[in-house]
Amino acid sequence: MARDILVLVEQSEGKIESMTSQLLAIGRQLAAEMKVELVAAAIGHRMENVVETLQGSGIDRILVVDDPALALAAGEVQAHVFAEVARLIEPRLVLVGYSLIGMELTPAIASKLGMNAFTNCVNLELRDGAITVTRPLFDGTMHAHIAMEETATAVVALQKGSAPATAPSAKKAVVQSITMDVKSIPSRSRVLEITEEPKGDVDLGKAEIIVAVGRGIGDKEKMHFTAELAEALGGTLACSRPVVDVGWLPRERQVGASGKSVAPKVYVACGISGAIQHLTGMRDSKLIIAINKDPNAPIFQVAHIGVVGDLFEIVPALTKAAQEAQTRLKPV
Amino acid sequence: MNIVVCCKAVPGLVTDLKIGTDGKAIQYHGQLLAINECDEYALEEALALKRSAGGQITAISMGNIKALDILYYALAKGADKAVRVDCESQDPRVSSTVITAALRKLDFDLVLTGTQSRDTLGGQVGIAAANLLGIPFAYAVVDVEARENHTVKVRKELGGGRYAEVELMLPALLCVQTGIQPLTFVPPARRIRARQQPVASFSLADLGLRSEQLTPRGYRFVDVRAPERAHQVELLHGSPQEIAAALLTKIQESL
Repeated sequence: MARDILVLVEQSEGKIESMTSQLLAIGRQLAAEMKVELVAAAIGHRMENVVETLQGSGIDRILVVDDPALALAAGEVQAHVFAEVARLIEPRLVLVGYSLIGMELTPAIASKLGMNAFTNCVNLELRDGAITVTRPLFDGTMHAHIAMEETATAVVALQKGSAPATAPSAKKAVVQSITMDVKSIPSRSRVLEITEEPKGDVDLGKAEIIVAVGRGIGDKEKMHFTAELAEALGGTLACSRPVVDVGWLPRERQVGASGKSVAPKVYVACGISGAIQHLTGMRDSKLIIAINKDPNAPIFQVAHIGVVGDLFEIVPALTKAAQEAQTRLKPV
Repeated sequence: MNIVVCCKAVPGLVTDLKIGTDGKAIQYHGQLLAINECDEYALEEALALKRSAGGQITAISMGNIKALDILYYALAKGADKAVRVDCESQDPRVSSTVITAALRKLDFDLVLTGTQSRDTLGGQVGIAAANLLGIPFAYAVVDVEARENHTVKVRKELGGGRYAEVELMLPALLCVQTGIQPLTFVPPARRIRARQQPVASFSLADLGLRSEQLTPRGYRFVDVRAPERAHQVELLHGSPQEIAAALLTKIQESL
């Protein structure tokens, strides 16, 4: 019978994604409560570093598929390999990171294994004895709790920030190497190369103050409001995805899952509703100020200070206050 | 190149949410349905590919009669044909089974859809259908190039500013990101004219599906409610000037 918890490790070039550490933390706690084993599956090429890093995470077993054909494998092949590994242990739960890579693999793996998948989850816990996930609905304005039936199995894709990283464990995981003929897995796609966004002039990662603008600005002609605020505060202008999609700011200024992850001292979100993909990239900021006319906007779930109101009134007023404060500070 | 675009009809503001009696679906009052935003980008990409490589575009949507609206919209935008699958499902496994059966009845080289719908935020149906069809797939695609040898070359996001260039043999399925093409405006006259066009309809019986394939299983909704906040947000009130002064103080304290 399906029992154990299997964590799919996301790594690139031997480096484990921070998301995976969170999955291991959640998996470890749940495995302890359910009195089952925590198993990690790592696939790729030259996996020594990955296995070494995984040790100390409280894992019972590490299943490794190390094959040159996995160095640059297409989604089809990765999903096939992960599903085969899962079949070996018939897990109760398969935990995946809700990343762009995780979202390509999760439905394919679940479909191959005939399991339900719960994606985009913000929490996974035992509640009244039932494995229960929390996941957003309707643009994140609502959260649903979904309880799994007693013997049901599932793939659960968890959002970043769903759990703190683990304290080290003295437990030594058993490493099990699995041989698979990866080259002969049927595949009709191939990865040609991995590329990086060319470095622009803006380094959002170094900014102490970020003023970020979202779809709520509504009009390219009004973008100057937030640009002026950024300047008055001595901060850097950034944005959420929709602003880049319509071409009002370049990609290098985008904060979120597909753009930059930032954690400045101050993050001022103007007219940003707070799609999960955006929150992922900024929720660790020290002080989050949200200005939005919709009191139900998900941005208020992570904001420390909120203003429910018209950004075209608040932003210029804040710009003026910051400019006046600057003038006062200047020596006469 | 013949392209099928899977588009979902999603509600705007929803109210009175409650859990259905079987515990498997959320019931709500919703306003008019609109085309899911990322699916609209998928439609735009299909139109761009048609301009460069020719072929026919079929828009497909699963839902009740209200979903017709977005299919007319797709026709007005330039889709050649539209198909509605008469099925309402919030369960990704059921939805992907149904959409797969419908796709098997259509002639396509490429299936395009968005990355997720704004109502269920699941993002599963596209890739799951590709897996059931046994065709290659890519998620979060930001660029598509049709090639001579019955392949496409795509650029997909890996996150954090990294991309993969992937070659896929056709037929293939792509989940495209928002912003892949600019959204275009549809003149009202075209929208009115589109309503004269026929929309094919597939019933579940047409698709030869059995009821056990259409039954969600293994879980139940416990509750649905406004999210718990990580920490309580401190809301500021007052005139814009008072709020600005308070914000500036908070900002200065944090530096």
